[in-house]
Amino acid sequence: MSGKAGSMPRSFGLSRARLARLGRVPLILLVVAYLIGTWGIAQADLNVQSLVLVAAVFGMLAISLDLVAGMLGLYSLGQGGFFGIGAYVTAIAATTFGINPFLLLPIVIVVSGAAGVIIGAMSLRVSGLYFAITTFVFTLVLTVLATDLQITGGTQGLLGPSFPDLPDSLAWIGTPVVWCILLALLVVVGLVWSLRRSPLYPVLLAIRDAEPFAEAAGVRTARLKIGLFGISAAIAGAAGWLFSFLGVVSPGQFDWSVSLNILVMVLVGGINTTLGPLIGALFVSMFPAIVNINPWIQEIIYGALSICAITLFPEGVVGLVMRRLRGLSPTEEMTTQNEAAAAPASRVPAAAAGAPADAIAVECRAITFGYASGPTVLRGVDLAVRRGHIHGLIGPNGSGKSTLANVIAGRLHPQTGQTLVKGQAVDGISPSGRARLGLRRTFQAAQLVRELTTSQNVSVGLYTGIPALLRRAPVWPFLPSARRDMRQVSRQSDEAMRAVGAAAWTERHIADVPHGIEQLTQLAAVCVAAPDIIILDEPATGLSVREVDHLTGILSDLKRQGVTMIIIEHQTRFLLPLCDQVTVLNAGEVIITATADEIRAHPVVRRVYLGDS
Amino acid sequence: MLQFVLSGIAIGAVYGLIGMALAISFYVTRVINFAQGQIMMIAMMITATTDALGVPTALAVLLGLLAALLTAVLSYYIAVKPVLAFNRFSFGWLVSTLGFAVIVENAAAFAWGPTSRPFPQLLNGISLHFGGAVLTGQQCLSIVVALLLAGLFELVRRTTLFGKLGVAMAADPEMASAIGANTSLLAVASFAISGLFAGIGGILIGPNTFANPYLGHTYGIFGFIAMMIGGGTERPVAAMWGGLLLGILGEGANTLIDSQASDWFPFVLLAIILVVTPRGLFAGSLGWSRLVAALRPAGQA
Repeated sequence: MSGKAGSMPRSFGLSRARLARLGRVPLILLVVAYLIGTWGIAQADLNVQSLVLVAAVFGMLAISLDLVAGMLGLYSLGQGGFFGIGAYVTAIAATTFGINPFLLLPIVIVVSGAAGVIIGAMSLRVSGLYFAITTFVFTLVLTVLATDLQITGGTQGLLGPSFPDLPDSLAWIGTPVVWCILLALLVVVGLVWSLRRSPLYPVLLAIRDAEPFAEAAGVRTARLKIGLFGISAAIAGAAGWLFSFLGVVSPGQFDWSVSLNILVMVLVGGINTTLGPLIGALFVSMFPAIVNINPWIQEIIYGALSICAITLFPEGVVGLVMRRLRGLSPTEEMTTQNEAAAAPASRVPAAAAGAPADAIAVECRAITFGYASGPTVLRGVDLAVRRGHIHGLIGPNGSGKSTLANVIAGRLHPQTGQTLVKGQAVDGISPSGRARLGLRRTFQAAQLVRELTTSQNVSVGLYTGIPALLRRAPVWPFLPSARRDMRQVSRQSDEAMRAVGAAAWTERHIADVPHGIEQLTQLAAVCVAAPDIIILDEPATGLSVREVDHLTGILSDLKRQGVTMIIIEHQTRFLLPLCDQVTVLNAGEVIITATADEIRAHPVVRRVYLGDS
Repeated sequence: MLQFVLSGIAIGAVYGLIGMALAISFYVTRVINFAQGQIMMIAMMITATTDALGVPTALAVLLGLLAALLTAVLSYYIAVKPVLAFNRFSFGWLVSTLGFAVIVENAAAFAWGPTSRPFPQLLNGISLHFGGAVLTGQQCLSIVVALLLAGLFELVRRTTLFGKLGVAMAADPEMASAIGANTSLLAVASFAISGLFAGIGGILIGPNTFANPYLGHTYGIFGFIAMMIGGGTERPVAAMWGGLLLGILGEGANTLIDSQASDWFPFVLLAIILVVTPRGLFAGSLGWSRLVAALRPAGQA
């Protein structure tokens, strides 16, 4: 304890020195300017203040929505509801029971966060649109309850508590509630800004765009989604707490159209950007105050503008500006693919061997599997893969190879049979749990995040290796230890890309790379975690002859380091020379497990698969 | 008891029609048209206005339905098509269809003023006795029309090429387009039909509610609840069963709990049903639909 406390000031001093050295000056200037602006607004007249404060509260709400909609693809229409919970809990507890509003803030955060976790756990059973619908219904129900209950004051609502006054000695800083709201906004912006700079960000986008990939990297996706949604709800609740100081709290301020307006803010400003939701909130909340005309016409214009924004600028204001800026900078030359054909680097990170050489790494016992409708895909499949072996899995289309890979990786649950990884029964363990046991896999159709670079995609593979990532992510850029880890993450990712021979592509976005590089990126994301066992689902599909040769080199390298591999492949000319053992599947049954030479000679295999020529 | 069940079925039939309207356009395009209630309102406003101008009532009703149909098609071209063209899986339509609803509602309030206008009485003057219960002719008409439309829709969906194209497009628009289906025509048609369903719902309820620009909001929400309770997102006709159930339970709550209960009861009901069965109550096959399946010509399995 004491040692830890002693080291604290030193590390903070170090961080400040580094801040200066790394040219964080513009950032500090920005924060200072923001504080001066806050001071100015704290002195301004009430009209200006209420305009700015309402915009700031909505800015917090928009950011809370973007946190889940932008990073996880969860379009919550429940933000209005959580906002309402925060405001009503504060108003009722403070005015009816006379509790100090500052005591209420942690209560509000816990209550609305818990509501978010419950709603999230409930609605993520069914994904996508149903999440939006369930959160929408949640807001509907809360609005109706607020309107019809006695304690909430019906449609009239309740008068919120007044913000406690400052002692006279501090009167010079101006209206205290202005400071409270604008500092809260700064904290929330800082939190999201940090999250975007942490290694958690690529992981979140992977959950959004390529959930199987994230799971295969050991990410407990459901837990992370529910947790982040809880945080988003807690931020919305805190916004409600702040809002209650601004006057009357009534049902109309939290109904479903408010939830949708928050979505409008996010989409208009630019989804998945730090500034976009703020710009959107500023626009939407100030629009009625600035355009002071017939309310119906004003609403018509608002409706028309939101349609225009969605249809003409689907990426929002910030997206549009960024695209312009990118358009101005000279486009990079596409490098030729020579690099990919270069000799593989000598070192691919991999697990240390140690167990007896003939131990079984993966074993399937009498696996039977069938999809809900249709025939049985696997019938009593037995498979034993020895440690350090490359085990080929071949067979005609529809013979159950990928299904077997999915059963081993934990994505599919067999009706009967048992799966063992490194001697441990893993039948109840999720794909992410199996990844944490050292079992990684690639996918037949590459599952990657298109808007991230190849190197960032590879860093998802390191998720389980970064200590206390979840706890540190919200303040990531401010932690010296985190900066050190960040450098290591990007170094390891780049190294893994180099090891698979795609060093020239590390800064490219997946959306811009050819198919072969996507395959190599998948492989790098697997290798970077130094797994004991790798399942490769058709790694050579779509690769050129040269790229296949290159892949052969990488896989032989991995084998030398003691990695166990299960490879599904149709290109037997590539696969068979690599394999220690080959299992042939046909119509869900194992025909034979033998060495490559025996397979080549086997009459049934020649007939059903290799072609009798 | 019989009274609230019957009047519940009558009002539920209207909820069901709007629920089906939402479900039909959702079924083909995977978009919930938040302007559906406002489309219903347009039918009511146009019918009320033209009727007041001395146009024969039957023609006024037809004009109202036509207006609803056109508004629905317009909502597709303005709020849905451009969004789906950018990204079929984006949720931008949440915003654009709501924006369309805001425009229609406020334009109506601006043009007609926010107060209610008289609506032609249609069959409201007739009273029919069923045991101890009394229904107006309009209520009976609602029940009959809604059930007929639900049955007709299900028949068309299951037995005609047009209906099957709808199924195909719901599953995979690109594939449907690749095998030669005119997907954009199909989408327009689904919006037109949904506009018609919503409009008919408006005409059926009009004599009781009168015509008001803000009615769309309330009925749009009840239609949404009907769709979700029933499971209309998977089978449009299930929205009708959801609507009928909602109507009966809502009227029952009014009779048995207190006269304001239908303000909150449907929402709580919906929340409970979504917790228990997120896909809705009637998403699976009902006996009734198995009957239709049995009736359909052989060789179309």
